[in-house]
Amino acid sequence: MIELQTARPFFEDKPELLQEILGRYPDYGRRSALMPLLWEVQRAERYVSEARIAEIADILDLTATEVRGVMSFYSTYHGEPVGRYHLQVCATLSCKLAGADQLTDYLEDTLGLVPGETDAEGRFSLQKVECLGSCTTAPVLQVNDTYYERVGRADVDALLAAMKEDVLPEPARVRAGDNERYGPAAPAGEEDA
Amino acid sequence: MSGAVTDTVDRITSRRDPRFEVTLYAYVGVEGAHTLDAYLERGGYDAARRALAMEPGEVVDLVKASGLRGRGGAGFPAGVKWSFMPPPDGRDRYVVCNADESEPGSCKDRYLMEDDPHQLIEGMMIAGHAIQATTGVIYVRGEYHHAYERLRAAMEEARARGILGRGVLGTDVDFDLILHRGAGAYICGEETALMNSFEGLRANPRLKPPFPAQAGVYGRPTTINNVTTLASVVHVVAKGADWFAAMGTDDSKGIHHAQVSGAVARPGVFEVPLGITYREIIHDLAGGPVGPAKAFIPGGTSCPLLPFDDAHLDLPMEYAAMANAGTMMGTGGVIVIPQDQCIVDAMYNVVRFYAHESCGKCTPCREGVATWLPKMYQKLLAGLGTPEDVDLIEDMVKNLRGTAFCPLADAAAWPVQKSLELFRDEYEYLAHHGTPMYPAKDRWSA
Repeated sequence: MIELQTARPFFEDKPELLQEILGRYPDYGRRSALMPLLWEVQRAERYVSEARIAEIADILDLTATEVRGVMSFYSTYHGEPVGRYHLQVCATLSCKLAGADQLTDYLEDTLGLVPGETDAEGRFSLQKVECLGSCTTAPVLQVNDTYYERVGRADVDALLAAMKEDVLPEPARVRAGDNERYGPAAPAGEEDA
Repeated sequence: MSGAVTDTVDRITSRRDPRFEVTLYAYVGVEGAHTLDAYLERGGYDAARRALAMEPGEVVDLVKASGLRGRGGAGFPAGVKWSFMPPPDGRDRYVVCNADESEPGSCKDRYLMEDDPHQLIEGMMIAGHAIQATTGVIYVRGEYHHAYERLRAAMEEARARGILGRGVLGTDVDFDLILHRGAGAYICGEETALMNSFEGLRANPRLKPPFPAQAGVYGRPTTINNVTTLASVVHVVAKGADWFAAMGTDDSKGIHHAQVSGAVARPGVFEVPLGITYREIIHDLAGGPVGPAKAFIPGGTSCPLLPFDDAHLDLPMEYAAMANAGTMMGTGGVIVIPQDQCIVDAMYNVVRFYAHESCGKCTPCREGVATWLPKMYQKLLAGLGTPEDVDLIEDMVKNLRGTAFCPLADAAAWPVQKSLELFRDEYEYLAHHGTPMYPAKDRWSA
C-alpha cells in the first residue's frame, strides 16, 4: 500500500494523451475511456497496479472497485507485471492441430517456465491463450503485441535468441490462400466502379 | 426466405466459374495496398461518393436487393437490419463494426483490416449514410494490434483529406469514426456484450428487446455489422445488387470467405461464391486433407462437426444447407480434423475455450460450460472416466441447450452433442480403457 501514497500519477505528465483519449468519446460516454486508459498504463508498465486503478477511477469519477471489476473481466489486462517479452501461445483447436501443444512444451523446456510464470530476470513470461485469429497460419506465437505466424522450431530458436539480445524481430506477416495466390499478381488498377 | 425472387439466372457457385473474380480480398497480401493513395488509385471511395448521392432509403433498398446477409455468423439480412432503425429524432445514431473476430477457426476480418483498412472505412461511411448515423465505432479485438494500428493510420489519412469528419467528400454529410480496442473476451462478439464493453462496462450480454436499433450504444439507435459485411457493401454499391446476387444460391447470395485450417495441405483464406461445395473448398482450394480425415467443422468451433464423407463434402456452403445438416455455416472457418486425432481431446479443446470465455452471467453456462463440462472431459482424458460419465456429458449438454441468455452455452453444448452422436465409440473406448483410441502425436511439423 506504500505504492498508493508515493507513485507519481501516470497521466500527470501526459495531459495531451489523456485529453486525446477522453476526447475520442462523446461527453455522455466518458466511461468508454476506461479500457483505453487501462491499455496505456499496461503498455508502459506491463501491468496495472492498484495505484493506477485508483488514478483511473479518479479520472473517470468511478470507484476503484468498478475499474477493477472491468479489468478483471478481460484476459489481457494484468494485475501483476509480465516479462519484457510476454510469450502467448494460442492453444485453441486450429493451432493445436498445427502443433501448439508441442510448441508450448518446447517453450516450457527451453525457458524453464510453466504457463503463468515469469522468469527471475523479468525477461520472459509464458502464457497459453485462446484463439488469436491466426487459424490459417497456425501455430501462432504472440510476443507482446506482435504475431509470429506459422512458427517452426527454428523460428522459435531464432526468436528467443534475438530476445535475449533485447531485439524483437519484425514478423514475416505470413499470408495464405488467396493472399498468396492473388497477392503478388493483383492488377495495379482495378476498374473504377 | 424474405420474399426473395427466385430468378432463372445461372448463378456462380464455384471458384472454377470463369465469371468469378476475387473482390474483397483482391488487395489482401499486396505490399503497400493499405495506404489511402493506393486505395484512391484503385477507385477507392467512389462507391461512398455514389452512395452519398443517393437517398439513405435507396442505399438500404440496394443492400436488401443484393441479398447480403451478416457475415459474422448469424446471417441476418443486412439491409433488413438497417431498416429497423427508427426515423431520426435528433438523438445521435451509431453504426458499429463488430471487429471482435474471436470464433476459433476465423481470421478473415483480420487480414482485411490489416491490408485494406480503407475498404472497411468506406463500408462504414456507406452504412452510416444508409442509417443516417454520423458516428461509427470500430470495435477491434485487443489482440489485433497490427489491424488497430493500420486502421488508426487509415482514419488519420482519411480525416486529413476530408474523407472523414465534417462534410465528407465535399458533401454536407458529417461522419467520423471512433476506434476502440477490446481486451480479450470472446463474448464481445455478441452484439449487446460488445456495446457494454464499448461503454466501459463488463461485457455481459444485455436483455433483448430493446434491440440495438431502439437502444444500442449509450441507449442511442445503433446498427451493428461485421467487418466483412460492411466491406461487401462497398462492392454492392460499386458493382450493383445484381452483380452480388448473381453469385451464390437462392438462400445465400454473394461472396464469403472460406478460412481453411487444420489438417490440409494449403491452409488459407479463400474468397468464394456461396453455394460452393465443401469438397471444392477443402480439396481444390486448400489442397485436400493431409492424411485421412474423419470430420470437418464448417464454420468455426461453435458449429457442430460433420463427417468427412462424400455426402457431406458435397453440401453447398450456404446458411440453409448447413442448418438442414444440423450445423451452421457460421463465419466460414473450416477446420479439418485428421483421423488420428482423438475426438475427445479435440472436443475438450473446444470446451475449454468456451469455459474460458463464459462471462458467468447465467447459472447453466457458468456451472455447466465453465465448470462441470471441462471437469468431465479432464476426468475422461486422465483415464479416470467411466461409461456413465459419457452419459452424464450427454445429459448435461442436452440440458444446457437453450437455457442461457446468449448463444455461448449452445455454442459449447451443440458441438459436444454432435461429437457424441458421430464418435461415441471414441468416448466409450477412452472410458473403458483409460487411454484414447488415438494417442497424442507431435503435430508441430515445421
